Order: sequence, then C-alpha cells, then structure tokens
Amino acid sequence: MLIAAQLLAGLGLLFVGLKLMGAHLQQVMGRRVRRLLRMATGSRPAGVLCGMVAGAITQSSNAVTLICANLVRGGVFATRDAIPVVAGANVGTSALVFIASVNLKVAVLYLVALVGLAFHLRMDKRTGWREWMGVLLGLALLFLGLDFIKSAPAGLDLSQAAHVVGELLTPTRGFFLGCLLALITQSASTPTILAVAVVQAQVLGLGDGMFLVVGANLGSGLATLISAGDMRGAGRQLCVSAIQVKAMGCLIVGGAALAVMAAGLNLDVMLGRIGSGRDPAFALSVVFFALQASGALVVVTLIGLSEAIAVRFSPATREDKLSRPHFIHDRAVSDPPTALDLVARETARLVVCLPTILPDLDQRAHDEPKARLAAWQGAEAIAAATDRFLTELIDQRLTREDLDLALRAQAQVDLLRALQETLHEFGAVVDAFHPLPPLVFNLSESLRAVLLVLADAVPEEAGEGDLEVLNALTGDRSDLLDRIRRDLAASCATGGSEVRTLMRATSLFERALWLVRRLSLALRPRANEDNSPEGWSVPAAAQNGRVEAVEDRG
Amino acid sequence: MQIETEASGEDTVLKVSGRLDTLNAKPFEGQLLEAVKASNGAIVVDMAGVDYVSSSGLRALLVAGKAMSPHKRKLRLKSLQPQIQEVFDISGFSALFDIH
Repeated sequence: MLIAAQLLAGLGLLFVGLKLMGAHLQQVMGRRVRRLLRMATGSRPAGVLCGMVAGAITQSSNAVTLICANLVRGGVFATRDAIPVVAGANVGTSALVFIASVNLKVAVLYLVALVGLAFHLRMDKRTGWREWMGVLLGLALLFLGLDFIKSAPAGLDLSQAAHVVGELLTPTRGFFLGCLLALITQSASTPTILAVAVVQAQVLGLGDGMFLVVGANLGSGLATLISAGDMRGAGRQLCVSAIQVKAMGCLIVGGAALAVMAAGLNLDVMLGRIGSGRDPAFALSVVFFALQASGALVVVTLIGLSEAIAVRFSPATREDKLSRPHFIHDRAVSDPPTALDLVARETARLVVCLPTILPDLDQRAHDEPKARLAAWQGAEAIAAATDRFLTELIDQRLTREDLDLALRAQAQVDLLRALQETLHEFGAVVDAFHPLPPLVFNLSESLRAVLLVLADAVPEEAGEGDLEVLNALTGDRSDLLDRIRRDLAASCATGGSEVRTLMRATSLFERALWLVRRLSLALRPRANEDNSPEGWSVPAAAQNGRVEAVEDRG
Repeated sequence: MQIETEASGEDTVLKVSGRLDTLNAKPFEGQLLEAVKASNGAIVVDMAGVDYVSSSGLRALLVAGKAMSPHKRKLRLKSLQPQIQEVFDISGFSALFDIH
C-alpha cells in the first residue's frame, strides 16, 4: 500500500515539477527566447543552434514550434528559415532527460532545502527572483518525484514484476504506450523521464524502455499538431515539420533497434553497453538524444523536401498570402539605399490596399467581412514587418541622408498602421448596423472615395494635382460633423445605443480623415513639404498614441 | 442610369438620372470624358435625377474634373438632391466642384 502511495506521489511530484518548471521558464525566458529566435534566420546551423538553446531553455519543443509558427504567421521569418529552429529545439530538450538520468539525490535534497529557505525569507517577493525560484522549485520537485518512483519498490523482489512487464510489453505495445503517454502529457521528455525512473527501478528492461521512448517521440509530434488547434497555413506548416523531425528519428532509431533484434542480437545488452560504467538508464537518454538528433539532421539536410511536404499538408491560406511583404526581405538591410527604396514600394502598396479594409457598401452582396478581416490582418502584418525592417535598418550605421529617409519612412509606416487600425474599427462599427442608416453609408462611401484618391496619389504615380485634390478632400469639416452630432443628439427617434454608435462612426471618420491628411503630407516628396495645408484643427480623438509620436518626430 | 447630352451655347449639359454606383460609374466616366473631348466649354452635370452616389460615382466625377483642369475648364454640378449633397459635403467633394 505504502509502495503504491509512494509511486503515485512520485508521479504527482514529477508532473507538478515539470509543469512548474516549464511555466516559470517560459515566463522568465519567453521574451529572450523570442529575441533569440528572431536572430535565427542567418543560416541553417545558426537556426539549429538557436533552436537548441531555445529548446534547452524552455524544455518544450512544442512551445518553440508554436512560437516559431506565430513568428512565421507574423512575417518575421519564412517557414524555410524556421525549420532548422524547430529541429534544433527537439535536440535541446534532451538536456533535461540527460540530467534526469544522473543520480543527483543529495544535490536535490540541498536544492529543496535552498528553495524552501528562500521562500521562507520571502525572496520570491523580489522582482526577477520569483520566476527563477519557481524554476528551481519545479526542478527540485521533478527530481524528488523521480527519486520517489525509483525508491518505492526498494526491498521488494521485482523479478516477478519485471517478468510480467516483460511478457506484456512487446515492442509494438511499448511504442503505442509511449505514444499515448506523450499525447496525454503533451511532451516526449515526460514519458522518457518516467521510463528512465522505471528502468532504474528495474521494473522495465532497457529494450522495452527504448520502444516506449520511440513511441513517446512520435506521440509528442502529434501533440504539437493538436496544440496548434485551429492554426492553418504557414503557421501549421511548422507543426508538420516538427512531426517530420519526430517521424524521421523514429524511423532511424526504431529501425536500427528492429534490425538489431532481427539479427538475433540482444537489444538489452546492446543498450547496456551504451551506458557502460553508468546507470543503465543513461542509455535511454542517449536513445532520446539520438531520436532528436537523427531526425533533425535528416530534416535540415533535406530542407527543401521537408518544406515541400509541410506546404503540401498545410498550404498557405489567403491570410498568409495577404500578410507576406512583396518587396522587403531580410538580406536587403545590408544595402540601405536599396532597402529604403523597397520600403517605399512596400508602403505605397499598403496605401493602395487601404480601401480593401473598408466595407464595400455599394456592392454589399459581394462584401465579405471575413475577407475584409483577412485584408486588415495581412496589411497590419506587413506594416509591422516593415516597421521592424526599418528599426533594423536604423540600428545600422547609416549615412545622415539615409538615416533621415529611414526615420521619415518609419513615420509614414506609423501613420499607416494607425490608419489601418482606424479603418478596421470603422468597418466594425458599420457592420453593427442592420439596416444601414443613410449617415453611415455616406460616411463609409466618402471615406472610401478619399482612400481611392490617396491610392492614386502615392508618390510614384502622383502629380502635384493629386496631392492638391487630396488636400482639399481632407480639409477641416469639424463644423459639418459637429452639426451632424448635434442633430443626432437631439434626435429621439433612434435608440440611445444606436446614437452612440453613430457618434462613434463620425469620430472614427474624422480621425481617419485626419490620418489620411497626415499620411499624404508624409508621403510628399521633400521639396513640397513647405506647402503644408492650413486651417486644419486636429480632432481630439486623433490626438493619442503613436500618432502623437509621429508628429513629434516629423 | 440614363444620361442625356445637350449643348447650351459653348457648354455641354449632361442630364443624369438613376444610380451612380460601381456598375454605372465606368460608362458614366466614359461619357463625361467624351464630352470633355468634344467641347471646349464647361461641362455641366445636371444631377436632379440622381438618387444614389457611391465612392465609384464620386471617383468618376473626379477623373473628369482632373481631365479638364489642365485646360482651366470647369466641371459644374447642379440640382443635387439633399441626400446627394450630404455625400458631397461629407466626402469633401463639394470643395472640388462648382455646385449650384
């Protein structure tokens, strides 16, 4: 009875420890990991190395894969750049499995004492310490749990139990059991660490433990796909790559084990030789590492094929296509004049795309809110990528002229992002009306007309006439809008909430118009800068956030 | 949408009725540009019969206005219905044309 309780307590401590450690590690290192992953686009070895570090830090290839998937969706890097990172992350997770196979009983007891004392002294209240203490506590509980599991059957004759397990656990059953455990725990290392403990307790043979680890490896790949949830397109492609790493590892290592068995050799003995002079469970850690490393090696070497398979299983969605920059790319940063030219083209393209964010009330039968949402998300992602690109460019040693151009371009992108956001909000307000009041129709179609003129006025095609027209179109009309608002406030025919929404529509319209004006000024060639329009009072709603910063910079 | 063209001295008057929407904007723009080419005077668009104007309709007027501006000629609009006048006011297009 006591043995069963000790085993269960050990399992409980192991799970709590892993959870605690993972959560605190991601909390304390999450931002750094993201920063690290952003640097991983240089070359395949750099990607693998960054992935290894990220995997070792987070102890979760799942987490690294999902972070990368989000970065790919956000346009920070391409699927091809992220595949080596995902492969490396799997290798990095081997670190904990290796540590778990080492007997650290005395060190663990000291660690528990140290963490307990630190909590007693309220050191967890200090900023920055809390998360690290959580990591150490998680690690301590994990090892304590392992120790419980290992020592529970001490004093019992386990030969009978080992015989029964050996009879029950064929390689196939071990494989599926590992797969199931990984799906439940969403991790390959947890079932592996568990297998290490059971092998150390001599209940499980090394061969059986190995097939369990191989199964856990594939199971964790499937778990990544499940974790991806409703992620589609480019984001999901990385989850497919993660499964490829796992599957290739299983094929190579599992295949080698089956070949050894087919050759009539004793797998237990062969594995025992790996850990000669050490704890026999060390061999399982080596197997785990071999699974990750061999899978990673194949996938990274055949990266083109790997990417093609990932794309085949999860083709790029409309959102992916819309959120891909057309002109800027990482390598362009090294040539600032070209980079600035590409930024100008990217910005001009985003300006031309602005009307697609607004509802097309003239053809409402063809207006799809989903398509508009995708257009906004795509445009927003490209603008964000352009902003990052410019930040990277500005961080370099630029000539004074290039620096000036880069800062101007960044101000344009800031305005563009504010305008995209405002148009999206305006669209959401329009969508809330059924049926559509005439005022909302007039506001929306007016804004669309102004945006079409702005699209015609982007620098490469623009003449001075276009900019003058835009100037006139975006002139101050606060009197008109104030009158409309007064009429709305006086009107009792429409309900209170509808009046509020109509008021909001007028405010967003005014803000959008002001942003169009600022943007058209920012997009002007420098020689025309002195022709700044007069008589414009900035709407109160527009005087906030990033736009204010842009004003200051301008 | 229907368009009737008539001459008034040097000027050309286009009497438009119906909807100036995406569907009709291109043919309307075409007729306007033809009128701009064909005459040397002002172009007057009588919009008394227009009960709907979308962004595409506004843009068609703007294209014609831009085609006339190098020759210092005017595109005039007249007899706008109140709801159409509001679209012009809100969009700022009232500032671009002579409206009577």
